[in-house]
Amino acid sequence: MHMRHISKSFGATQALDDVSLSIYPGEIHALIGENGAGKSTLIKVMTGIYQPDQGEILLDGRSMQISNSAAAQDHGIAAIYQEPVIFPDLNVAENIFISHRDRGAIVRWGRMYKDAATILAKLGVKLDVRMPARGLTLAAQQAVEIAKAISLKVRVLVMDEPTSSLSAHEVAQLFKLISTLRNQGVAILFIGHRLEEVLEIADRVTILRDGKLISSTLRSQVTTEQVIRDMVGRQIEDFFAKSQAERGDLLMSVRGLSKENVFSDVNFDVYRGEVLGFAGLVGARRTDVGLALFGVEPADAGHITFAGKEVKIHSPEQALELGIAYATEDRHRFGLAILMSVATNITLPTLRRYLTALGLVRQSDEYATAEEYRQRLSIHAPSVKVEVGRLSGGNQQKVMLSKWLNAGPKLLILDEPTRGIDVLTKAEVHRMINALAAQGLGIILISSDLPEVLAMSDRILVMREGRQVGLLDREAATQEKIMAAAMGQNRPAMEAQP
Amino acid sequence: MARSATSPAGGRNLLLGAWERLKSWEGLLLGVLVVIVIINSLQAPAYLSIRNQTNLFQLFIEKIIIALIMTFILINGEIDLSVASVMGLAASTLGRLYELGVPIEAAFLIGLAVGMACGLLNGFMIAYTGLPSLVVTLAGMIGYRGLAYVLLEDRFIGNYPEWFSRLGQQPLIGPFPLALVIFFVLLVGAIIVLQYSAFGRYVYVIGNSREVARYSGVKVRRVKMALFIVSGLVAALAGLLYAARLGSVRGSVAEGFELDIITMVLMGGVNMYGGAGSLYGVLLSILIILNLRNGMSLINLTGHVQTGVIGVLLILSVLAPNLARNIQATLNRRRMRHLAGTLSEAQESP
Amino acid sequence: MSALRRYFRPEQVRELVLVFLIIVLALFFGTQIRDYYTGRTFIRISTSIAIIAAVATGETLVVLTRNIDISVASIVGFTGYFVGMQLVRHNDIAPLVAVLMAIGIGAVMGLLNGILVAYGKVSSILVTLGTLAIYRGILVNYSGAKTITANSLPQWVIDLSSMNIVSIGELDFRLLVGLALAVVVFFQLMLTYLPFGRRLYAIGCNPNAARVAGLPSQRIVLVAFVLCGALCGLAGFMYLARFSYLTAVAAQGMEMSVLAAVVVGGVSIFGGSGTVIGALLGATMIGLLEQSLIRWLVISEFWRSALLGLLILLAVEGDAAIMNRLRKLWARSELQMAPKQENK
Repeated sequence: MHMRHISKSFGATQALDDVSLSIYPGEIHALIGENGAGKSTLIKVMTGIYQPDQGEILLDGRSMQISNSAAAQDHGIAAIYQEPVIFPDLNVAENIFISHRDRGAIVRWGRMYKDAATILAKLGVKLDVRMPARGLTLAAQQAVEIAKAISLKVRVLVMDEPTSSLSAHEVAQLFKLISTLRNQGVAILFIGHRLEEVLEIADRVTILRDGKLISSTLRSQVTTEQVIRDMVGRQIEDFFAKSQAERGDLLMSVRGLSKENVFSDVNFDVYRGEVLGFAGLVGARRTDVGLALFGVEPADAGHITFAGKEVKIHSPEQALELGIAYATEDRHRFGLAILMSVATNITLPTLRRYLTALGLVRQSDEYATAEEYRQRLSIHAPSVKVEVGRLSGGNQQKVMLSKWLNAGPKLLILDEPTRGIDVLTKAEVHRMINALAAQGLGIILISSDLPEVLAMSDRILVMREGRQVGLLDREAATQEKIMAAAMGQNRPAMEAQP
Repeated sequence: MARSATSPAGGRNLLLGAWERLKSWEGLLLGVLVVIVIINSLQAPAYLSIRNQTNLFQLFIEKIIIALIMTFILINGEIDLSVASVMGLAASTLGRLYELGVPIEAAFLIGLAVGMACGLLNGFMIAYTGLPSLVVTLAGMIGYRGLAYVLLEDRFIGNYPEWFSRLGQQPLIGPFPLALVIFFVLLVGAIIVLQYSAFGRYVYVIGNSREVARYSGVKVRRVKMALFIVSGLVAALAGLLYAARLGSVRGSVAEGFELDIITMVLMGGVNMYGGAGSLYGVLLSILIILNLRNGMSLINLTGHVQTGVIGVLLILSVLAPNLARNIQATLNRRRMRHLAGTLSEAQESP
Repeated sequence: MSALRRYFRPEQVRELVLVFLIIVLALFFGTQIRDYYTGRTFIRISTSIAIIAAVATGETLVVLTRNIDISVASIVGFTGYFVGMQLVRHNDIAPLVAVLMAIGIGAVMGLLNGILVAYGKVSSILVTLGTLAIYRGILVNYSGAKTITANSLPQWVIDLSSMNIVSIGELDFRLLVGLALAVVVFFQLMLTYLPFGRRLYAIGCNPNAARVAGLPSQRIVLVAFVLCGALCGLAGFMYLARFSYLTAVAAQGMEMSVLAAVVVGGVSIFGGSGTVIGALLGATMIGLLEQSLIRWLVISEFWRSALLGLLILLAVEGDAAIMNRLRKLWARSELQMAPKQENK
């Protein structure tokens, strides 16, 4: 399969820029890149979910139009994502064969079990085909999905981050499975973030960065360092380089924070006036730590000391009262009430401040506050009464930030605050972060944008799959070091005080 | 600004702004109402007289009182199917206690308490145990009615003190009886709370997106709990007023009322998936259903047939926004395809 | 032991518990009610169960797809009454024609429900809340307040309720009961062996995955509603045969018993799991309870609805709490015993 000169943009964002990629049968082709490099867009173009703005796709030398996912399936292209799509109440065999239309008018259980067992055996997997899919581990579910793809005679199998939730043992199993597939002539496109894993299994390595193809070479011809360099190799533009604010008192101290199966043993301090960056890849569980600190998904164990007192944070209301605010990365699902006005959104967490004695909302005060933020953050909206859903991404982000600023927090946790917004707004947000730190707030900046993290943070905490793998001071940190730690290159990297 | 969140069909249609959409739906309702009133007036001479209209409201006062709280619940993204059964249970409690010699005032208060207890049970299951409101209130609909039957079996309890029997009907303020006054007070109160209070704001936001509300520090569970407790209380009050008006109670009292109530709210533009709707639309919808039912009585349609017509209304009110959205989507798709077509044509030309 | 565990999933265990409870109940009532273990009691209970079971089968199909149909009672009432009226006016209609008429009309009513839910994308509770009223309204209008009584019906209809398939000593197995059993068996087989049946489960347990897998979800849901309506039609005919007395309020309130039967029988209200056999067991329990309460002097029969509501709540709560935990336990144990993923 050949993808030639594929370009795709969404509004102002160029997700893919003239990417050409070749996929050969019987080869495991690894696709590497940071978050936002364009990998998932590329897959979606391959599987028919998106249509490329430019470029063509060739299959067996013939130009193809893949207009939807069913068409992709018909052409033998299948994709398996991080979250397996299975039917929990049906058994394994049924899950494999459910979308088949050619198995006859009557379900022959005996034959289905046998056929399923055969397919699994071919993959070298032993699973009880009569077992309901609900009880399967994630790894087993993936195996079932792969079996399903095989049964549909897949030729190109795309696997998007299949290993992020697997144990080391399960990953080894999965790799044996993939190798078997490869030996049977299937082309496999593998997207992964654990560098040593990916390099272990890949035959060919392609690296994307900022929507462009950087390199595509045989595995045997690259080294780990080259890969990392290709992934990050860009000038650190002068994002608003953070001016050193006065580091104030200790604001929050976290020791041994753990949540079963999510993250474990997270330790750090945050000081007033400092920006603590949280770096890591998708699946590093940084958001989960943020959610634990904000009380949405409280931790199971660990000690949090805030403003001198030991606290257990078990609800967002409580966190707000303490003075902790959390700006979510998914503003559509968790951050903003899309149908409601700008002013409503801004005052939502702090509505109590705007009430009369009888509990009615003082709209004029509300509007005044919203106006204030509109000016302060230059939010481009016809008025504060407009539905938030009508604003552009950048302005929506500003509204969400206003909401939390209005809460007057002592600690502000920002989760991917500049994701999906334009460059100018990005700069404004950075300026704001700087100003806030100068005012004495403590800020935790969760970001997958390495240059941003490096430019804005006083110290950087690196996480990988729920574990803390590094804590670096600003001077000591480089993109390579962070990326290496994030991908598990096992440098000790505890070079700063917690 | 809470006003802007009042679009039916979830405001997913970004071509028409929320306000325009609202205007068109409520405009439609107003038009329908006018038509119905005209038709009715042609049938009965003094149709628009105050007395007639007052009587009209009287006949349905219990339903429309409950429709007010049901509006809140539906906007919040939940549903309460048990309201009619709570009405019946409260009324039956009153009847049974009265039969046993308890003074009617006490029986009245206990009836209210029973309704609140039902609401508490519903609310607890829904807010804290996490069961879907559909299932819980469906079970409640069956169970509370059952308890009503247990209390009264198949007896009628009547013979209430004078003042009780005339409770809802005596003219209190001008020509308006107590029940109607209660309704207007509740209506004004509901509008104030829904559109202008923090609680109302929370109701909308939770209906819009429960997660967004939670992430913003809103006490979601408490709001839901409060809604269902109030629903139980209001249903009980309505049931007791109904008992007073009928003059006699039996276990099957108010059976089937939930259909009218839910139709009143849904036809008023409230989206069952939450987050949109306003009491103004519901008020128009109430007026339509009242006048429609009256009109149907004027042409001698039986109760069951009238109920059937309300069923049609219910289905139409939820079908219409979906259809409208589908049509919009199809039109959009065609427009996109057309655009893409012209673009690719432009690309192909050298 | 592992084989035992493999074939006795939590669902099957639940069904066994249900059978056990039914037996316990029957024994209990036997001690409380005089002349309980007589042929007459058996006939009364079994025919009552038969009608509920027929409707419960249809309701199961709908609930499996994560929908609900509360208009079933109105469909049963209408078809029973309508066919009855036709028989009154034209005594010479062949039995088979009468049955097919009932099924056909029921199917059409189910079709309307199905179209609105599957293609109109309206929530099934709202649709069937509406059609419950609409169909009952049509029935009342059609009936003109006339009652159908035994004298006006052809003899064979009345005889139908006392025809037996087989008699074992005192126990008469009525034809109606046999019919219901045949229906249950047929649909259980269908759910197990026809792709259509399996897809019902798929759509119910993960509608999203069903869409991604390319299943024709809308058509399947439509057919589920049509079948439900058809079964209601059959039940309407059975109702006519059993009582030979129908008014416009025939079968009113039956949806409560049917829903209770379905939920108690282990069909998950969230869709995707449950069997028709389970619904039959649920119907058996409900029928047993309802008929026995009438004769039991300690608690009045008016506890019927209250008990139904309580049962529904308990069943749903219990399933949510217990079944999921059991399933996880089962799964864990199965994973331990089944050989781990290994490679040659």
